[in-house]
Order: sequence, then structure tokens, then C-alpha cells
Amino acid sequence: MNKSFLVLCGCFLLVSACKEPVIDEGVLPFSEPATVDADGGNWRTIVLKSTSDISVPQPAAVTSDTYKSELAQVKNGVFSLEPEKITAINYWAVGGVKRWNQIARQLVAKYNTESGNPLNATNSSASAPFAARLYAALSVAQYDALVVAWKAKYQYNRASLVDQGVTTRLPVANVPSYPSEDAVIAEVSCQMLAYFFPDETTWLKTKAAEHKQSRIWNGANVPSDIKAGEDIGTAMTAKLVERLKSDRFSAAGDPTNSWTTGLAKAPYDVKWTSLLIPARPPLLPLAGKVKTWFDSTTIAKSLPASPPATTSTTFQTDLSEVRTIASARTRDQSRIAAKWDDGAGTYTIPGHWNQLTEDYILQYRQNELRAARTYALVNRALQDGGTACWTTKYTYFTPRPSQIDPTIRTATLIPNTPGYTAEHATFASAATTVLLYLFPDETTELNAQLAEATLSELYGGTSFRFDNQQGAKLGAAVGTIAVESAKADGSK
Amino acid sequence: MYFKTFSLVAFILLGISRHTHAQGLIDGFMRGDRKANLALTYSQDTYDTYYINKTPTRDPNLGTVTTQALNVAGSFGLGYDLDLIVSAPYIRSESSAGYRQKQEGFQDVSAALRWEAYDYKIGKARLSWLFAVGYTMPIQNYISDDLIAIGRGSKNLDGRTMLHLKAGTFFLTGQYGYIRRGQVTLDRAVNYYADGQVNANSGSKVNVPDVTELIVRTGIVTKPLYIDAWYQQQTPYSKGTDIAPGIPFPTNAVGFSRAGATLYLKLVGQLGLTAGYSTTFDGRNIGKSTRVTGGLVIGRIAR
Repeated sequence: MNKSFLVLCGCFLLVSACKEPVIDEGVLPFSEPATVDADGGNWRTIVLKSTSDISVPQPAAVTSDTYKSELAQVKNGVFSLEPEKITAINYWAVGGVKRWNQIARQLVAKYNTESGNPLNATNSSASAPFAARLYAALSVAQYDALVVAWKAKYQYNRASLVDQGVTTRLPVANVPSYPSEDAVIAEVSCQMLAYFFPDETTWLKTKAAEHKQSRIWNGANVPSDIKAGEDIGTAMTAKLVERLKSDRFSAAGDPTNSWTTGLAKAPYDVKWTSLLIPARPPLLPLAGKVKTWFDSTTIAKSLPASPPATTSTTFQTDLSEVRTIASARTRDQSRIAAKWDDGAGTYTIPGHWNQLTEDYILQYRQNELRAARTYALVNRALQDGGTACWTTKYTYFTPRPSQIDPTIRTATLIPNTPGYTAEHATFASAATTVLLYLFPDETTELNAQLAEATLSELYGGTSFRFDNQQGAKLGAAVGTIAVESAKADGSK
Repeated sequence: MYFKTFSLVAFILLGISRHTHAQGLIDGFMRGDRKANLALTYSQDTYDTYYINKTPTRDPNLGTVTTQALNVAGSFGLGYDLDLIVSAPYIRSESSAGYRQKQEGFQDVSAALRWEAYDYKIGKARLSWLFAVGYTMPIQNYISDDLIAIGRGSKNLDGRTMLHLKAGTFFLTGQYGYIRRGQVTLDRAVNYYADGQVNANSGSKVNVPDVTELIVRTGIVTKPLYIDAWYQQQTPYSKGTDIAPGIPFPTNAVGFSRAGATLYLKLVGQLGLTAGYSTTFDGRNIGKSTRVTGGLVIGRIAR
């Protein structure tokens, strides 16, 4: 009796005393980047006409007293690190471009507040088109600024600290240390994200300061390397903000409701209506008019033709397919729909593709410049793909399946936009086309993801097969334009 | 002075809408050595208002959410002071408005061991002190990260202690427990924002917040009749998210205060009928639901 009493009491204590697990990324592998890309300063810039748009001053010589004292301080610092500094080094050594992309995704998720919460329904500040633009702007700014930095690195050739006998705590790319690539990334990313999320400025600045300091603690840069990097970041932000101010996104919300005229003129036989109760204007009706990164004429040529009319056999076949799936949706179909939903409260569909891209950047140990190029290509393709998708949506104003047949129940919320073309399929194809070019060894995995993502809306019951097929075609066309640009940007 | 009653009747009523159908598994009445009973109940639980954190909210795109449950539960006396209790519900949940798919399937199987550690005689009354441990796990891989879901999908470990007073036909039971809820693997990557989250790529596993539970129940029990009234309060013990925008739902901090009543009538032999009603006063990230229950019980009431 006493024994069992103790056992039971023990169980009870055990149950109540267990510590809750927290979200944790575990220990990531740290390794030196696979390449240094010494010719990176000659890669083609995107917003900058050339690297000379931002001048980088000549650094003090490594033989100068100023530099020697800087170096001595860094060298001594490496041997006396407090635990929190080590944590910061570990966090940022994973990669500045990767970390700031994660931060961007976290903030998008935080502000992507349109949700099942009807009290908060009108406040959708970070939907997919907003996010696509943000990710593109961030990675283009990082990329251009890093090309400038690489140019200066190999022009001035200030020896890396590793080459000067400093043992860094964690591996870093052995590139000339002036200007610091991490300071470039920290400053440009902090300022770009503060432009999109002004309320987060203080928090972002703390992050950026830690990022920059972590390089000194790690023994990878001296303060003058950091300062030069910061200046590039600031100059680059100004250039990019200039572009953002004139890209027509600020009108995408259509405050004058001009979309209603478009709806009246739409050539499709059944017109889209909002399925929300109460009905709401569609999401960012003029996001299809936003300035594209790649040639807008070529993109316009890729826009799909009219969708099949509701009276056509194709339409009826596709309608009955949605009905069949919705009436007996398998657990796996629900899983796929949920996996790719990326709706309110999340980092959005483009964010999902950024997350997948990050895995490849890590796996292929891309240096900061190359990582930024990867993201800049994927994200420009995503934004332009999204823009083309929105153009199509607000040309035809086609209904979602549940509008045609209200008995069709969905696995996810029905996006409050016209169905043709499906945004999931368009984004997925645009991103995958670029990723297939950049990571040809990952073809099998990428194609599997593409196939799932493309059909996710059909499985969820929110779009027809023709919405997805044409979306995939459109996305692939935009992705191909991005690939052609990548082939000619001077990198290899 | 040993009485036994259909603990099941009461615990079924304590099941809580979709999230925790099998909580409140245990009452203060021991089954008795090698005695068993079995209950089959149907319950219908509806709400049109739910709490986002603590704010009552109605969503016209959801309308009224109705959850029907068919529950099988049994208890068996392994010894005079040790009982085994098992239950498993089949659930269907759907909304009246909007286009959300309905969810249907087996929820969680629960098993608990109840041990009567001590009993004291106080005049003609009897006071017993009981302990119980329980375990709950999903029967199948149902959808857990949706507003309309069968359950929360976690495996739970549950420890509680009870004081049970019985005087004549009157009884009063108080219990306090801690429910440790495990992690859930979602259908998607964790792609939402959480305060203090270091990494945006945390895989698909999330934690379901633990809760503490307090239940007070009182009533009368005779051979052919049982009536009780109860109050139950679950309080999130660990930090969790709110319904929106802090999706996904399994990480929501769920709590509630609920009260209800139960009636049992013996029909013939071992067969009895049960009925119950409960309502929610207050909650956190849960529906303000009202439930009615009815069912059959096979097994002795008292020994």
C-alpha cells in the first residue's frame, strides 16, 4: 500500500513538474561557405545601374597604427567572450542573409492579421502580394549592396582576419574583410524592414547591432570593416526605397473601388462575388498593376487566355472533380491543402517558398552574396508571378467553386479573390522554375513539392483544375524569364 | 456503507466539446472489486459564440458549431481499491454557415487508474482520499489545427487527487488535477508568429499548453436514482497562443468554467438511463457551448 502510494505520488509530481518544451531549432551545422566568388563584384546589379552608384572609400592600410590597434582589440576580445556573445555569434554565423530572411518572414506572419477573427477582419496589412513585394525588395537590396561590397573587397583587398592569424570562433568565408558583408546585410535589412514595419524599428535596430557586433566578437571583422558596410547598407536602402515609392503598390488596395467597373466589364459568363459574410471587396484588386522586376512586355505575353465558360464541358468536368473531392476528401488531401495554405497569420505563400529556398542555401553552403542572389531571383520571380496572377484574376473575375455550388465545403478558408489563375499554383511554379535552375540536383524533390503545391487548392476545394493548370503555366513562364536573366548576370 | 455508482455517467457529461472530450474522466465513486459497468451515450454540443482569448466573439462565417459525440466508456474494479476506466468517443463537428468542411471520426482513447488510498469514518459519514493517473491518445490522425476539429491531437498524461465525502445518500467530491499535454505534429510547417521565437523554421511540431483542472460535484445517490450538480474549471498552466492571429489552434491556451447536472434512473435489472445538461460560463479560446447528453448504462449503481 505504501509503496504504491509513493509510486502514484511520484507519477503525480512527475506529471506536474515536467518542463514544457519550447520551439527550438537545435544545433545547426556551421561550415565555411563552399565558394568565395572573387568575381562577385562584377555580377550584374538589379536596381543599381552599376556598383559605382555607391562609392566605398579607401580603407586605412593594414600597416597603419589605427588598423593595428583595431586588430589587437578584436584579437584580445575573441579570448574573453561572455555566454550571451557566444550565443549571438552562433545565431548570426548561420548566415546573415538567411537570418534576415527569417526575421522578415516572422514579421510578415506577425502583421498578416486578417484571419478568422471577425473583430479584426479589415486589417490585413501583410497579405501575399504585400509579402512578395517585401521579400523581393529585401533580397534585391541585400544582393545589390553585397555586389558593391564584393567589388570593394577585391579592389582594396584588405586581408581577412583569418589570413592575419586570427582564429575565428566559428568558420567564416575567407574573403577580404573590408567592407564587412555582415554589416552590409545587417544595415540594409534592418532599414528595409523598418521601411515596411516602422513600428518594429527599435527591435530591428537591436537585431542589427547584435549582428554587426557578433562579427567582431567572432574575430571576423574590425570596426572599420563594419562602418564601411553600414554605409553601403544605408546608401542602398535609399536607392531601393526610391523604387518602392514609384512601383504603384500603394494604390493596389483600390481605395476608390475601381474594381467594380472591371467586374462589370469582365468577359466571363458568371461573375465573381465575395463568399465572405458580410461580403468584402477583394484583396488588393490593383496589385496586378504593380511595376514588375523583369520585362513587363514579355510577362504580358505570358498571360493566359480566357478561362473555359461555365457552360463548357471542360468547366463542367472540372466542377464535378472539385465536388467529388470535396464530398469525400481524404486525410492526405486535407493535409496537402493545409500544408500549402499559408493563409492569414502565416508568412504567406511566397514566405513558404523562401523557407524552402533557405534549406537549399544551407545545404549548398552558399556564401552571403550567392545566397542573396538566390533569394533575389526567387523573390523577383515570385512577386512578378503574383503580379501577373493578380492581373489575370482582375481581368476575368471568375468565381470560386463554392460560389457555383454552395454545397462544396473547403479544407481551408476560401481566398477572397477571383479564382483564375490560382495563386498557389502560380507562386509555386514561378519559384520552382528558378530553384530548378539554381539547384538542378534537387529536381526530384522540387518537382514533388511543385506537384503538391499546384494541386493544393483543388484538394482544398477552393479552385478548379483549370485555375491551377493555367496558374502553373503562368508561373513557369515568369520563372523562365527570371532564369534567362540569371544566366546573363555574370555569376557562375 | 460502501456505495458504488456509475461514475461513467458523470464523467461523460464532463467531456468538453471538441477539445477535451474525455476530460473529467474520474469521479469519487469506486467501482468495487471485480465489478464493471459500461455506458453508451450520445451528446450534442453547440455554440455560436467563442472566446478569442477571453473576448466573446461571433463569426457569421461560422454560424453555429455543432458537435455530436457517441461515447463508449467502461470501468472495471481491478481490486476493492483500484479501478480501471476507459473511454473512446466518435465525433462529428460541423458549422452552420460558411464553407468549412465538417470533421468526423474517432477522437481520443482515454484510460485511467483510480486508487482509493485512504478512507476515514466520521460518524456515519465516510471520507475517502483518492488518486488517479490517466493517459489519453488520439485513435487516429485527425485534423487538429482547424477551428472545426475533432480534437487537439496531443497525447496527455493526467494526474489528480480527490476527496470524496459520502453521508447517507448525500455526497460531495472535490478534485484537483494537472493535465500534461504533449506535442502535436501539424499538417504544415510552423509558419506563424510567436513572441520570442528564435527561428521561423521550427518544423511541424507544436506544444499543446498544459492545464490544471478543478472539479466540485455534489448530489444524492440511492439504488435507483442518482442526481448531481457539478462545476468544472480548467486553467491554462503553460503559456499558449490565442485563436487569432496566433494560429495554429493546438497551441491555444484553452480554459473554461462550466457547470452542469446529471440524472440517472434505473430501468430494469442492470440497465439504466442517463441524461445531462451543461453550460459554459466563461472561457479562453474555446466555444461557449451548451451540451445535452443522453444514454444507456449497464452496471450496478451501488453495492
